[in-house]
Amino acid sequence: MTSSDLGRAASVVGVGHTDWVGDYARTRAGEQPADSYGYAARAFVQALGDAGISRNEVDGLITGPRTAYERMGEVLGLNTRWGGQADAVTAVVMAATAIHAGLAEVVALVYGNDQRSAKVQYGGPQAMGGENYLAYVYHSPWGLTSQGALYALMFQRYKHVYGATERDLGEVAVAQRLAASLNPNAIMRKRITIEDYLAAAYICEPLRLYDYCLINDGGVCLIVASNDWAKRRSSRAVPIVGIGRADLNRGATELEPRLVEFYRPAQQAAAQASYAMAGLGPEDMDALQIYDSFSCHVLFALEGFGHCGEGEAARFIGDRGISLDRGLPVNTGGGHLSETYMQGWAHQIEAVRQIRGECGERQVPSCRAVQYCSDVAGKAFSIIYGASA
Amino acid sequence: MVTWPKPFPKPVQRRDDEPFWASIARRRLELQRCGACGRFRYPAAPVCPECLSEAVEWVPASGEGEVLSWCVFHRQYLEAFPPPHVIVAVKLAEGPIMCGFFRGDIPKDALIGRRVSFDYAVDPEGQVLPFFAPS
Repeated sequence: MTSSDLGRAASVVGVGHTDWVGDYARTRAGEQPADSYGYAARAFVQALGDAGISRNEVDGLITGPRTAYERMGEVLGLNTRWGGQADAVTAVVMAATAIHAGLAEVVALVYGNDQRSAKVQYGGPQAMGGENYLAYVYHSPWGLTSQGALYALMFQRYKHVYGATERDLGEVAVAQRLAASLNPNAIMRKRITIEDYLAAAYICEPLRLYDYCLINDGGVCLIVASNDWAKRRSSRAVPIVGIGRADLNRGATELEPRLVEFYRPAQQAAAQASYAMAGLGPEDMDALQIYDSFSCHVLFALEGFGHCGEGEAARFIGDRGISLDRGLPVNTGGGHLSETYMQGWAHQIEAVRQIRGECGERQVPSCRAVQYCSDVAGKAFSIIYGASA
Repeated sequence: MVTWPKPFPKPVQRRDDEPFWASIARRRLELQRCGACGRFRYPAAPVCPECLSEAVEWVPASGEGEVLSWCVFHRQYLEAFPPPHVIVAVKLAEGPIMCGFFRGDIPKDALIGRRVSFDYAVDPEGQVLPFFAPS
């Protein structure tokens, strides 16, 4: 058995999500439509229906960071033979590896987050994630607390080193809003121009309002099954053909991998591993889904994951394009900036739906391979969905 | 030394951070250095990430560094820091990168690459905090 067998082990056979648009309106009106478990359960029911299976066929459960594993299983009535808790991309990797190892055959990956109605804090001395990432809280005595500020420091340095401009960055928000305008599931659907972007206020300079992700409630679920199971039972399974990961932990709190390396060595290693597993290269990707808590992720990822050279992201966006109307479309549902902030989970189901060809007005033509790229806090992952070589 | 009108947020203090904050209270910031290989590290940690030695010494910092990057908070999140609040990430002469706020007459657009050094501020509760000012 070689490691490349992992790229032939598992497929996504069902996807589901909650009513992000309706729940956004309800939470803005002061209602709490569900808690994190409730959102996860709604998405789970949707995904079971999408997969055409019953709950009893699920033999593995991975629950997202906001929901405890045992309680999630209790809520969903699941006694499984394998499981755990993980963020979006780690959950996909865990499911594929557990299936590859024979520890489970049909795994439900469920995520629910009531972050808006529960008023979760992403800045300040008690910021979410501080227990896992010391940099999120360590600099708080000086007033450096929010994750937005950490990305503002990163993009400022990037501008200085490579000569990129805020207008270049604005093209990311404009392109993703175009995608969202064609997506009935997206929360922010009003198109914006680069002038709208530049006229918006700075939140943490050099980042403006449109560089920041939404904060909304919701849930997402994926059903991942073995390829043997998928062959027997599913007519529209989307295979997971490439997986790569590399982490930069050294110097993380002093921000050294962020400000000096822009996470590039980890991105390059993760991308290479996934391309090798899939037998594909960056030129084979028909669309990208990039973790975009902030717009500047997209520039860094285009370079680090091999879609253009170092410091060339702005030129790539201008010359080739990253929107649905030309080039290599990125975040085809609108991403965290404009569709929904499901912390990477909605990016997975958008990849699956693009490959199934069911995305309507926002469909990428002849979409055979989609890459998911994330680099949260220097933990870089590349997942390739779709057809292998 | 600057008097700050509002209390600073409380530092994250783990076991290894105590000498760091004690040195700041004396207004003579010390950095942790490996007693075996001499590598500086920030924040403090129980072993050296280079050689894994537990041997440590605390060494007064030169207080000098060069700005790597900056950002400006245009919204107020914390009582102590009304906007615009300028943050800098500084490559210290000893090696580590240290973040803090900046006060001084260098235009923010000209900050990257500029030399800065420590100054100290004290809040109404007596909490001392180092910050960066033009060298």
